[in-house]
Amino acid sequence: MRYVATIHVRPKAEVRDPQGEAILGALGSLGLGVVGVRTGREIVVTFDAADESTARTATDTMGRELLANPVIEDFRVELATA
Amino acid sequence: MARVAILRFPGTWSERDFEHALSLAGPPGGINGAETEILWHTEVDLSGFDACIVPGGFSYGDHVRAGAIARLSPAIRELRRFAAEGGPILGSCNGFQILCEARLLPGALIRNARLEYISDWVRVRVEDEGTPFTRGLRDAVLRMPIGHGEGCFVADTGTVERIEKEGLVLFRYVDERGIVTPEANPNGSVNNIAGLRNAEGNVVGLMPHPERCAERILGGTDGLRMFESLVGAVGDRSPQRIGALT
Repeated sequence: MRYVATIHVRPKAEVRDPQGEAILGALGSLGLGVVGVRTGREIVVTFDAADESTARTATDTMGRELLANPVIEDFRVELATA
Repeated sequence: MARVAILRFPGTWSERDFEHALSLAGPPGGINGAETEILWHTEVDLSGFDACIVPGGFSYGDHVRAGAIARLSPAIRELRRFAAEGGPILGSCNGFQILCEARLLPGALIRNARLEYISDWVRVRVEDEGTPFTRGLRDAVLRMPIGHGEGCFVADTGTVERIEKEGLVLFRYVDERGIVTPEANPNGSVNNIAGLRNAEGNVVGLMPHPERCAERILGGTDGLRMFESLVGAVGDRSPQRIGALT
């Protein structure tokens, strides 16, 4: 089976996010009442796996081993068939 | 003579500087105390080496996170084995980032607080002399260059408390009087942390570049003190090697 996983990575709430802080400053200048910004990134991975459970285990490994650093980031996975 | 391995990943750029700086470290009298070999990351065998350097640069273009892709290199498996046997390991700049990504040191390094790449001279205070790289340097204030975009040290609150309690902070950004101030902190690092050691003391990482300040023509020699410390530590570990030299 072919799967497409969208993996969302974000810095943990207690870890500072310098990019978010810079965007907050910039959005602040637009006067739209913005009081907080957190950034992250999205990685879309297409891969083959025997079934959904195997695919979920695989995405968990991808997130833990490379795409996110568990020391400072959390990740969340959306899984779909291709 | 100390045999020192220097790792090279795609994008490493400080390996030749380390090679040169280590060639300057030795006992008084101008005898070279270290012999170095640069090892390509897929062909790393550290048996027979007394220490290993993970140099700076932009391994794998800093993609994903600085040091994240290097962590999956076969060199890291060998580095873990070497670390577990007590082998001295020094990671500078990108090398420090790689050691954190490989969980050989706690915490992580993220974008500098002001999002700028910083190239400058800083001062760091040595907090502990129980490592092969800081013998006799306790409370010394070393002036060293930095050049990084991702040098802001962070960790979760529990980890920061633990590394402070266990004395794992090895280098702290300070002013010219040796005092920790917000102004002396170039990148927003938690508690002005510029470098760490592991609990055993054999694995050391720091953002500054000791290899870029090992001779007077480069504007400072404080980095050389760390390499002389290493040569001395290796000599004490295996006196027959130094004996063979003299």
